[in-house]
Amino acid sequence: MSSSVSSQHDQVLVEENSFARILTLNRPKQLNALSFQMISRLLELFLAYEEDPNVKLVILKGKGRAFCAGGDVVAVVHDIWAGGWRAGANFFMKEFSLNYLMATYSKPQVSILNGIVMGGGNGVSMHGRFRVATENSVFAMPETALGLFPDVGASYFLSRLPGFFGEYVGLTGARLDGAEMLACGLATHFVPSAKLPMVEAALCDADSSDPVIISSIIDQYCEKPSLKEQTVYNRLDVIDRCFSQRTVEEILSALEREVVDQRDGWIFATIQTLKKASPTSLKISLRSIRVGRVQGVGACLAREYRMVCHVMRGEFSKDFFEGCRAMLLDKDKNPKWEPSKLEHIADTTIDRYFSKVKDEDWEDLKPPTRSKFNLPPYVIAKL
Amino acid sequence: MDRAFQRTKVLTGHLLQSPPTSSFQTPSLSSNACLNYSPPELSEKYAFDINDMRKLMDGHDLEERDRLFGMITQSKVFNPRVRGGKVFVSPDYNQSMEQQREMTWKRIEYLFERGVFQGWLTGEGEEVEMRRFACFEVLGLFDHSISIKLGVHFFLWGGAIQFFGTKHHHDKWLRDTENYLIKGCFAMTELGHGSNVRGIETITTYDSNTGEFVINTPCESAQKYWIGGAANHATHTIVFSQLNINGTNQGVHALIAQIRDADGNVCPNIRIADCGHKIGLNGVDNGRIWFDNVRVPRENLLNSVADVSPDGKYLSAIKDPDQRFAAFLAPLTAGRVNIAVNAVYQSKVGLAIAIRYALTRRAFSLKPKEPEVLLLDYPSHQRRLLPLLAKTYAMSFGANYLKMLYVKRTPQSNKIIHVISSSFKATFTWSNMQILQECREACGGQGLKTENRVGHLKAEHDVQSTFEGDNNILMQQVSKALFAEYMAAQKPNKAFKGLGLEHMNKPCPVIPSRLTTTTLRCSQFQMDVLCLRERDLLNRFVAEVSQCQAKGESKEHAFIMSYQLAEDLGKAFSDRAILQTFVEAEATLAACSLKDVLGMLRSLYALNCLEDGAYLRYGYLSVENAATVRREITKICSELRPHALALVSSFGIPDAFLSPIAFNWIDANSWSSAQH
Repeated sequence: MSSSVSSQHDQVLVEENSFARILTLNRPKQLNALSFQMISRLLELFLAYEEDPNVKLVILKGKGRAFCAGGDVVAVVHDIWAGGWRAGANFFMKEFSLNYLMATYSKPQVSILNGIVMGGGNGVSMHGRFRVATENSVFAMPETALGLFPDVGASYFLSRLPGFFGEYVGLTGARLDGAEMLACGLATHFVPSAKLPMVEAALCDADSSDPVIISSIIDQYCEKPSLKEQTVYNRLDVIDRCFSQRTVEEILSALEREVVDQRDGWIFATIQTLKKASPTSLKISLRSIRVGRVQGVGACLAREYRMVCHVMRGEFSKDFFEGCRAMLLDKDKNPKWEPSKLEHIADTTIDRYFSKVKDEDWEDLKPPTRSKFNLPPYVIAKL
Repeated sequence: MDRAFQRTKVLTGHLLQSPPTSSFQTPSLSSNACLNYSPPELSEKYAFDINDMRKLMDGHDLEERDRLFGMITQSKVFNPRVRGGKVFVSPDYNQSMEQQREMTWKRIEYLFERGVFQGWLTGEGEEVEMRRFACFEVLGLFDHSISIKLGVHFFLWGGAIQFFGTKHHHDKWLRDTENYLIKGCFAMTELGHGSNVRGIETITTYDSNTGEFVINTPCESAQKYWIGGAANHATHTIVFSQLNINGTNQGVHALIAQIRDADGNVCPNIRIADCGHKIGLNGVDNGRIWFDNVRVPRENLLNSVADVSPDGKYLSAIKDPDQRFAAFLAPLTAGRVNIAVNAVYQSKVGLAIAIRYALTRRAFSLKPKEPEVLLLDYPSHQRRLLPLLAKTYAMSFGANYLKMLYVKRTPQSNKIIHVISSSFKATFTWSNMQILQECREACGGQGLKTENRVGHLKAEHDVQSTFEGDNNILMQQVSKALFAEYMAAQKPNKAFKGLGLEHMNKPCPVIPSRLTTTTLRCSQFQMDVLCLRERDLLNRFVAEVSQCQAKGESKEHAFIMSYQLAEDLGKAFSDRAILQTFVEAEATLAACSLKDVLGMLRSLYALNCLEDGAYLRYGYLSVENAATVRREITKICSELRPHALALVSSFGIPDAFLSPIAFNWIDANSWSSAQH
């Protein structure tokens, strides 16, 4: 007995069932890129559902061939041009607050990742309790190619991947398929897309917020996908050796040493990707993931908010604007990074990305207070 | 009769092992009466930036520390285990001694492959040494065995080559050591001689016909004992022995000898036996070594201090055998600095766990139906843990000062380093054992579980009060050094200079007859009152020794007889020196909430020092003032209570290096978590 309570033009479609709420990201032409409006709406809905005793779980999915391709960066850049960096900061403040709410949510969130899930799309799914991958899933955190860095709490969830896989995924923007997502833990379940309607129906009948019960319901439709032959997941030893190095420069030279040892297309491609990315982005991303390893999710988001404000202000580097120009606006795919080389960036410059923003009205991210809820253990462990 | 029936029912339930059914439950036992874990972060507020505090505490190489923390938590080699939804890393101490040794070695290999030890011996400068200290502190937080195993290889074996060797030794050994092509150990202690190194019995002679030294273990008491790395892994060792040249004993010297080949087979003329299972530190393969006419080339004598010519002539730049011997003990200083610093980090682990637990565990309600009281809200629990927290902060500043002293060393500062490192090593390691014991008890039964670390750390670190200088002996050396300083200052136109003894040149501080809160919390008063004790005890010690000497006894005998004053003096010196480092660190900060909290910690540390028996024994404090001090301590404890979480969070120890009771201990112990 489901009743539709939203019009087809809404950016977030809401479907209410007896126990579950199904939220559908509805900007299929933009691959469901998150607009400020969508983020605000999601925040509003999630807050309301937490208080509503009739809601036991929240399902999040995307319309069309993407779950969500990320934050609507083009809109953010236009806002900054029109209204200064603070317009951008507002967007991220809202987005990170939503990420934190999801990470500390007292009811299970099931995200159905049947398609592209990138950047901000990971922010609204990876922090939730369950992530269901399919044969259509394509994961990436491609920010370093845009002059940004893996944000939306990525320094929390990437840093917790096995070995140094998180550094690899975060620095190179490597794409993973559903089987790989499941193998490394980014996804909690793998369900063939044909069975998704059955999973949804079963979940809607579940009168429970108990993660063990929810998990066992999804389990009934799960399949064990096999990793493709050329999967990067079989390269974990090389990834560990190289991406555990102290600096980006050392990671690159470690990769170059590996190439000499074994003529290998994959390592060569990895080196090329790193060389194309913004040097500043690589450095701040590495630092962010490293620091994230020993921080809770709240501290990770607060730090990333500082970083993203510095990026918006463009005080130390304008790579973000150049990256958006080259990749999203002009689409010449030929960004001119400045500084152009890793060795031109001093550690002290990197330090500044992690410092408070020197601006009178600026404040650190204050994520929503969570103490009034009786948090489940899996949330408490993330704090 | 009803009772008997009820009891039978309960017992039947136990025996049948069925989950309790609702008919057994009285209304008051319904599920809403269950305890819930609430993370302390949700209720406690931070009044200062814990990152700034961490920077102040750790002092240096924060990024390097975090990288290493990450490297450890990301690898299966470090035995990650999930408890209550969180990952914890810690060795499996339930493994056999042999397995623990093997795992320690695997972990070293893992870190080596990732370049962690790069530059540890081939690099130079303060930065390299500080980074090395930082890595040691991090590794020590994981496990004592791994840091000792590395310490033996890099600091003792590597350090001996650096300090006693000359260029050709450096060229030949340092790079290979850093690259683990060889594995070194350090054979100084013997069954019959530990602290008294000059008495060791191993003998080395020189054969000028072949240009070789010949090393011998002349009797069972001369067997090398406790040699870390010798039982399983080491391929080479530094051998300390009496060097006998043409019938003349030239005293203790150090040479290099190979004890295993590259395949791990023990070399001819070497016998090695295991020291066996120990009360802790079983990841280190301590062994015993006997030398039976072991021949090593002449170049293997570490000859920076003395050399033997090919034709067998003894040559030394240092004529005085006492000074020559002192030069040989230099690498032990680095070890002592490491031990002192490491002890402080262990105290941090213990306190972080015990305080986090005390912020989530409740016991007893004051009134019926009221929630039970948090352990840390009991003034008695505050009084048990918070002065130890203050002491750990004080020791942390002391440790940072000691590290700087060490890396900025000059030939002139050697004496100061020796005295300070001896004093701090003894004080920090003793305090560590006391702190861990209190923390263990503060965690109650949970403290007894190995996975909760606190109790187990006691066994792992007990050895710290004995190795690299027995604590009691080190403290005696401190008192003797202070005696010598006193004597030197009595000469015409001389004054006290160095070791913080300058206060001895000034008039004796006066303690107000009635102490107030304001006075008690003033750093000047705190320094004065600690200086007063040190000054008086030094005067008394000198007087007693001189009196004894005046009766015709030797100075050595006089020192032995004045042991009680010597002990009190050593303690007084350490307490004052530590407070001084605290005050100096505080002075570098601008006024802020962080500084205010540090001020409270400093006051708590200083006032707790006044609880030492010497203050009443020698009458530095009146009985009334002693009672005022005691009251003030409880007051500061209650003022520090709101900062307890922030203060332990500032230690910068990742959650994975603490233990399940520091977090969601209910979930970590749930039935479902026991099922896999």
